[in-house]
Amino acid sequence: MPKALQFEGIGKEYRPLFGRRIVAALKDFSLDVECGEVFGFLGPNGAGKTTAIHLAMGFMRPTQGRGWMLGRPFGDAKTRERVGFLAENVALYHRPAEQLVGFYGALNGMTRGQSKRRARETLEAVGLLPEGRRNVSRFSRGMQQRVGLAQALVNDPELLILDEPTSALDPLARVAVRELLIAARNAGKTVFLSSHLLSEVELICDRVGVLNKGKLVRVGKTSDLLQSRAEYDITARAIPEGSFPEAKTVDGAVHLRIPSSRQRMVLEQIWAMGGEVLSVNPLRRSLEQIFLELTSDQSSNPGSEEHR
Amino acid sequence: MKHVILIAINFVREQRWPILVLMSWVVALSVLGLAVNARANRDDILFIFKQGAVYGVVFAVFFGASAIYNERKTRRILAVLSKSVGRGEYVTGLLAGIAFSTGIYWFSMGVTATWVLGAAGFSVHTLWQAIACLVVACMLSATVAVLFSTLMNPLFATMATFLFLGIPAVAATRFGSSWAHALPAFFLIDLLMRSSFDSNLVVPWNSVILAVAESVFFWLTAWRVFAQRDIAVAVD
Repeated sequence: MPKALQFEGIGKEYRPLFGRRIVAALKDFSLDVECGEVFGFLGPNGAGKTTAIHLAMGFMRPTQGRGWMLGRPFGDAKTRERVGFLAENVALYHRPAEQLVGFYGALNGMTRGQSKRRARETLEAVGLLPEGRRNVSRFSRGMQQRVGLAQALVNDPELLILDEPTSALDPLARVAVRELLIAARNAGKTVFLSSHLLSEVELICDRVGVLNKGKLVRVGKTSDLLQSRAEYDITARAIPEGSFPEAKTVDGAVHLRIPSSRQRMVLEQIWAMGGEVLSVNPLRRSLEQIFLELTSDQSSNPGSEEHR
Repeated sequence: MKHVILIAINFVREQRWPILVLMSWVVALSVLGLAVNARANRDDILFIFKQGAVYGVVFAVFFGASAIYNERKTRRILAVLSKSVGRGEYVTGLLAGIAFSTGIYWFSMGVTATWVLGAAGFSVHTLWQAIACLVVACMLSATVAVLFSTLMNPLFATMATFLFLGIPAVAATRFGSSWAHALPAFFLIDLLMRSSFDSNLVVPWNSVILAVAESVFFWLTAWRVFAQRDIAVAVD
């Protein structure tokens, strides 16, 4: 089965017409996105996320390397029939929402009847069906973003590529979009999601890739990334009070937060004292912490997990 | 083909205001037909018609020179090209849109001029032959403008188009009239400019066929060039 997205050693340089400063937006970028997964694509502003997405969509050509979308080379127009795309800062033609979404459906090869029906369905999914006959030029930015999402969904795509889909949305609309994405995943669709909202990515993404200065610095399962192997949380009981000065006692259970280097020694101490170990868990970090670690200048070098 | 038609219709819709401005020349000609004695003022009416004809070609160049730039600047092109629309279909759709926009204009102009100029004694046969030549000149100018617009902003694309199409016309004045046929846009427009109530227009079929062939060539070149362009980078 072909991968949903495959970047192979892709580099992209922007060369100004006049002037010598060449900007390398992506450097030897390789990434595979499997079919059926929700992939979170993270990185600070200017990291190259949008460039990678635009390369995949065929809006631009790589300076080096190559890539495939649903088994076909990037830029293949026919493949895009199976893809839904929402650009960052969505720009739409000024016409009634229903008509507009139908237009994008027709551009994806749908018949008049199909595109009309799907336009209504997708507008309903994003909560805009009652506004379907209003011109999108009169919509708020958040509403326009939702119309943008509707046009991305209109062809019932196998692969959804979303660049900051919730940037202009209020918390309620964000929850609705999150539910839409979860529904897409449950329906077996692939979602490639670029977002700055780390809490959202943490909640819905199966895997995460972090891009910094055009390089992929970390990629792995969200659950693996969130678990720190550097520190552990040990819960034990029946050990004499004061045995571990750093310990906290809650309801008779002693909680210890220790570095992995001391894990074995502490466990042996507990058993030697006749104590009972209730649990040993790697400490869970937030995606925000990981993001900050990876995107600070010192930590741009690959570490653990599946590095590229 | 469906994509081309959809993009063409969308283009016409987006350009409805400039098209309406262009149509004001048709209205002006109609008003003249109603308000003045056509036979007594026939030279003035012919002058207005010639002026309107030149504006038709100029608008076609403006439409062509700005079409891609405007879509890229507003980033609306991203949503369109994220669908199963090829770059060639997109360029073809724009050209079809320009052809449709100017086609409406030429047809209205032709019908109005048949009524007004016909009443003043102008040969209707000559009139429609001139319009056919203008449509061909218009499409040649528009394809060249679209080709330049894949590389330049509208100002430079417009200037480059007029320069490129004007060079053979200028060369013709210095090195012989055969130069005018190399890129016959100006030559075909000039046929109407030289026409009068006393002369009959003879369609230079060689030039018309050459202009059509060149339009196809520039269309295919624009397609090829646009297919290589990075469309998501900032246009300014």
